[in-house]
Formats: sequence, C-alpha cells, structure tokens
Amino acid sequence: MEAISNTMLVAVTFAYLGVSVLYLCNMVFKRGFFGRAATIFTWLTLAAHTTAIILRWVASYEQGIGHAPFSNLFESLVFFGWTIAVIYLFIEGKTRLKQIGAFAIPLAFFAMLYALKLDPGIKPLMPALKSNWLIAHVITCFLGYAGFAVSAALSFMYLLTKQEQTAGSRRALTLDQLIYETVVVGFILLTAGIVTGSIWANSAWGTYWQWDPKETWSLITWLVYAALLHSRYMRGWQGRRLAWFSLIGFGCVLFTYFGVNLLLSGLHSYATGKT
Amino acid sequence: MSETPSPASPGERVWNFFASVKLSFALLLILAATSVAGTLLPQKEPAQLYLEQFGPTWGGLILGLGLDDMYHALWFLLIMSLLAANLVICSLNRLPGALKIIRKDPAVDLDKKRSPAHGFTLAGTPAASAETARRALAKALGKVWEKPFQAGGGQGLVLLSQKGAWSRLGVYVVHFSVLVIFAGAMVGNLFGFSGMVTINQGQTVDHIMQERGQEKLLGFELRLDKFTISRYPNGMISEFRSDVTFLQNGREAQKNSLVVNDPAVFEGIDFYQSSYGQRPGLVTVRVSRDGQTFDAKLEPGRWNPLPGGGQAGVVEVHQNVNMGQMYSGPLARLAYQPEGGEPLAITAFKAGNRMPQRGPVKIELVDLEIVPYSGLQVKYDPGVWLIWVGCSLMVIGFFIAFYLSHQKVWVRLEPAKGGRTRVEISGAANKNRLKLEKIMERLAGAMRGGE
Ligand code: HEM
Repeated sequence: MEAISNTMLVAVTFAYLGVSVLYLCNMVFKRGFFGRAATIFTWLTLAAHTTAIILRWVASYEQGIGHAPFSNLFESLVFFGWTIAVIYLFIEGKTRLKQIGAFAIPLAFFAMLYALKLDPGIKPLMPALKSNWLIAHVITCFLGYAGFAVSAALSFMYLLTKQEQTAGSRRALTLDQLIYETVVVGFILLTAGIVTGSIWANSAWGTYWQWDPKETWSLITWLVYAALLHSRYMRGWQGRRLAWFSLIGFGCVLFTYFGVNLLLSGLHSYATGKT
Repeated sequence: MSETPSPASPGERVWNFFASVKLSFALLLILAATSVAGTLLPQKEPAQLYLEQFGPTWGGLILGLGLDDMYHALWFLLIMSLLAANLVICSLNRLPGALKIIRKDPAVDLDKKRSPAHGFTLAGTPAASAETARRALAKALGKVWEKPFQAGGGQGLVLLSQKGAWSRLGVYVVHFSVLVIFAGAMVGNLFGFSGMVTINQGQTVDHIMQERGQEKLLGFELRLDKFTISRYPNGMISEFRSDVTFLQNGREAQKNSLVVNDPAVFEGIDFYQSSYGQRPGLVTVRVSRDGQTFDAKLEPGRWNPLPGGGQAGVVEVHQNVNMGQMYSGPLARLAYQPEGGEPLAITAFKAGNRMPQRGPVKIELVDLEIVPYSGLQVKYDPGVWLIWVGCSLMVIGFFIAFYLSHQKVWVRLEPAKGGRTRVEISGAANKNRLKLEKIMERLAGAMRGGE
C-alpha cells in the first residue's frame, strides 16, 4: 500500500506539471477549452493526491507504527502541494479567474517535485512527535503557508501582467483584493500554527517559546505579514507595493520552511529527516 | 492616525506619534529585521566563544550590544515596549470613536438624504410598500427602525436595519490580545523559574539546577522509582518513561508516569521528561594490602572510607574497554589515599585478570553497577494561562475583525406622482462591501417582486 501511494504521488506530481501547462495554454491562447480541461484535470489530480495521502496514512497503521502523515519533510511537502491545490480551486470557484492557475499550480508541482527527491519511507515517530497538538500544528502551518503561496502567485501575476498600469480596473482591483484576502487566510492559519506549536512545545519541552531559529523565523514571517495588514491603512500601499510585500512575505515563508533547516540549526532539526 | 493640520502642542505631537499606524508598521518591521540577527548568531554561548570566533572588536561589539542573548537584550525589550505603548495609545485614541458609532441611536439622522444604490418607483402609496420593505429588511439584517417624514404633499417613510455594529470591536480584541500575551510573558519571567534535574533510578532529590547553575530547593522531594525505554521493532526509541513519586515531608504524596508530551504537575510545578542516560552506580572493589584482602563498595562522587583505614573514590568507569590481547573488560580509574598518606591514582581491572599493578596496594573490580538516570525539565510559570487566554482572544478577534462587518441598509419610501412610490435603497459598511451590495440587490429584488 505504501508502494501504491508512492507511485501515485509520482503520477500526481507530473499531473500538476501537465495541469500547469494547460493553465498556461489557457492564458496564452485564450481558448475556453484549455481552461475547462485544466479545471477538470486539477480536480482529478487533487482526488488522486488525497487518495495517496489517505493510503499512506492507512499503510502506517498496517505497519504497526500508525500516525498521521504530517511528520517529516517529505510528508509536509506532499501536504503543502495538496493545500495549494485546494486553496487555488476554492479561489477559482469563487472568482472564475483561471489565469491564476498558471501561477498557483506550478507551486504545487515544485513542492511535490522537491518531495520526490527525498526518502519517502514511512518511519516510526520519535517520542517528542507523538502529540495531537503537533498534528494540528503541522496542518495549520501548512494551510497558512499555502495561503501565502497562492497570495504570492497572485502577486507575481499582478506584477508580471503590469496591473499597476490600470490600477483602477476591475481586474486589478480584484487581484489586489485577492492578494489581501489570501494573506488574511494565511495569517490566521499561521497564527493558529504558531499557537498550536507553542502548546506542543510547552507540553514536550516545558516552554512555549524558546527563540529557536525555526520559531523565530515563523515569528519574523508573522511580523512581516502583520505589517502588510497594517499597510493598507497607510496611503499608497495598495497595488504594486502590496504585491511586492506579499512576495517578500512569501520569501520569509520559504526561508522558515527550507532555509532554517538547511542553514540554521535548532529544535526542529529532526524535521529535516537527516538527523 | 490623525494628522491634524492645526499646530499641535508637544504633548499632542507625542501622543499622535504613538497613536500612528506608521509607527506600528515601522516597529513590526524593525522587530522582524532585528530578530533575524539572533537566528544567525549562536545565542547564550559563553562570552569567550564570541571573542574567539569574531575577534576582540566584533566579539566585543556582539557582547556589548547583548547580541549573544539578544531576545532578552534591553534594546530588544525596548522595541517591544514601544510596540505595546503604540498599541495602548492607538486603542485609547480610537476606541471612543468606535464605541460612539456602535452605540449610535439608529433613529438619529434617519431621514437624512443619502445617495441611493438602487432607485425605482412602485405602484401604490409608501404605506403600501412599507410592509414588504420591513419584512425584507428584517430578513436580511434583523431589527428595523423607521421614521415617517413629510414630502411632496404626502407622507414618506425611512426604514433602517443594521447588523454587526459590535464587530467593530474585533480589532480591539486582537490588539488587546497582544498585550495579554506580553503580560503573560512578563509574569512568567518575573515570578517563574525553570531548571533541570537528573535523578538516578532509586534516587531522591530535593532541588533542581537553574539556568545559571544556581540550585533551587523545591520544598518537597522527588524520587525516580523506575526508568524504562521502549523501542520499535527496528530499534528506534518509541518512548522513554519515568515512574516518579513526589514526597511531602518524607511521605508519598503523588505518583506519576512521565513521558515526553505528558508532563506531571505537583504543587503548581511542572515536570517534563526531557533526557535520559546511564551513570555509574556503586562500584564494588577487592582491595589487597598488608597481606589482607577485603571487598568494599564505593559510591561515585565522594571519598569512601575503607575498613582498616584510608579512603577511596571513583574517578571514572568504563563498562568495557578493549586493549587487544592484553585485556578486555570493565575498567575503573580510582583515587586511593592511605591513612595519613598522599592520594594515588589507581586503575582497577576485573578481578582475576593478569594485569600487573604496582604499589603498596592492589585493587580489583568485582562489580560495576550501571544505573539509568532520567533528566527532567522543571518549570514554574504562573503566566502561562495568560498566554493561552491571549492566543485564544487573538484568534477569535481575527475572525471578528476579518470576517464580520458592520452593515447598514436604508430604504427610503417617498410619495411620487400618480399615487406611486419612489423607493431608494442605500447602504454603508465598514468592510465587505460586496456583501452589502448583495444585500441591497436582494432587497431591491424583493421589493420589485411585490409589484
Ligand atoms: C503584533 C501586533 C499587532 C497585531 C497582531 C495587529 C493586528 C491587527 C489586525 C488583524 C487588524 C485588522 C486589519 C484589517 O481588518 O484589515 C489591525 C488593524 C489595525 N491596527 Fe493592528 N495589530 C498590531 C499592532 C498594532 C499597533 C501597535 C497599532 C498602533 C497604532 C495598530 C493599529 C491598527 C489600526 C489603527 C488598525 C485599523 C483599525 C480599524 O480598522 O479601525 N496595530 N491590526
């Protein structure tokens, strides 16, 4: 079952690549056919992706080391890709703006591609990781990261298509609003992620906050986005500046997620799967 | 926020500075930027290390700025205090205005003319349309206020309904929650303590070691009854567990099984399973001197008097050393001091071995006891509940601030020519205008449907 799940994940990864191409065609050729096909295939890919995650979950129980599949870098990347797809489809359903897919779905593909480079083996949990708070922590953090990722995709789209030149247009205003709203979703979930993480740390290590690099970087990310949320109460921070801000915020997310593990050390080092 | 054009007194200027969103924007980013430093520089290392690694100039600067423990450095706390002051003053500045809007009597200004989002005429008098408007408004928003007025030779009517006025307080809940979290951290720092204790299996302790190596008496005792490690089939550790007993005045008061993620609490103090290991216990030696041979038990960490005079101590033990053909087995480095003589270092091997030992005394190992020990993190934090209250408030506040809004909709019914009624629908919302537009659209639809 673990093998089936892993094979499915490989297929899902390349399906995201295919879907990205479809969305790109939709944007470039402006034919409804590509857009419809892209949406259908994204839904199918997401279904397969979900199935693979559930199979992995079941497989861990069959191996007698049952735990939710959110325990190491491989599993978190797979979940990250999944959440990006979910949030994107939600936005597509709400706004019907399929161009966004050309920017968001590639992120799901890259997350999965990175996962494929790692060891996919299901490992038993070390004692500190046995906690329901940890599961809540991982789920909320990654949903939040995915919110920021989609926001960054929107920002990239905003800047690439030079929306600031028609900043008053309906399209530009919608994008502007979507950038902000996805940041809000990400911010609430990141906050919940930091809180559940502290609750877990408090029960595992006896302190809710230790300023270890991963914790601190998640706080840095949080502060940057908190500043972004306040920027809209200052004149002139909509549009292009907001888009750049969101991209910088996402840079912090990426550093929190990858950079800290690769470059700095700390409590969370077990999450790299290398220690 | 407020940028008053009239010349402001210095006091006002300070107040306005602290009430501004620009300041909080800057402070949030400054906190973010400075926090980076502490993740790049190793924290809380001995001062010597910084001087060696970075040289006297840079190392001195790091120490001088407190960058070796920057999250507790005075200047970092100062930025946080500025943020707190910013929050308090900003809230004091704006809260009265917000409360005024929330408490505003809907009947005031009810018949003021507003620019309508939808305008159309219906057959019949205003009174005839009023019932439909009332019902539709009540359904969309709740309680309805109304006020008649005279216009165009007939009687008109304005209706108003609003929802979520109190949601304007969401932002204040969020901002207050930040202060609650700050307060919780301060209470913990001022009145709490934390430390470590390691206990051998079977041992009882009455104090812990705090961060800077100070001892702290607990006021009760703690005994490690048993330490167990369980493993997965592949050999990875699945759990380590300490069975402990808390003793009050020498009497057993409470028993707990401590595992990682499941701490125990006694007298408000939390005990967390954090590490484990093995330590030498009693070392049994066979001493031969002056033609006599006897066994003695040595306890590590102190001088043990020997029968017939003199004393011995354990310096270091190895469960198994391998010296090739010469020797393999346990080994202990001991200190031996004959009565009235100088101390000697002696290496003791397993009894019956062929290793030569010179000197006036021969000491061999009979038994080496290895006892497991458990490392516990100990913490007393009277502020932690404030942290959780603050976190909960923050998340609740986010939902109110981001997803609820104050929506107001007016319906103005005015007599028009030919016995008809002019209907004007207008609205106001502090955010989520999309929702407001939908409400007004539905309202217009409902009223026209009655035509
Ligand atoms: C860590 C600290 C802070 C957090 C987490 C925070 C969070 C928030 C949130 C979530 C909002 C709502 C944003 C929206 O609805 O778009 C907000 C609005 C606001 N914040 Fe903060 N804030 C913080 C610090 C501050 C500070 C120090 C000030 C001081 C001036 C401030 C002033 C404001 C103002 C004026 C608003 C707009 C309120 C309104 O809509 O009437 N914030 N803040």
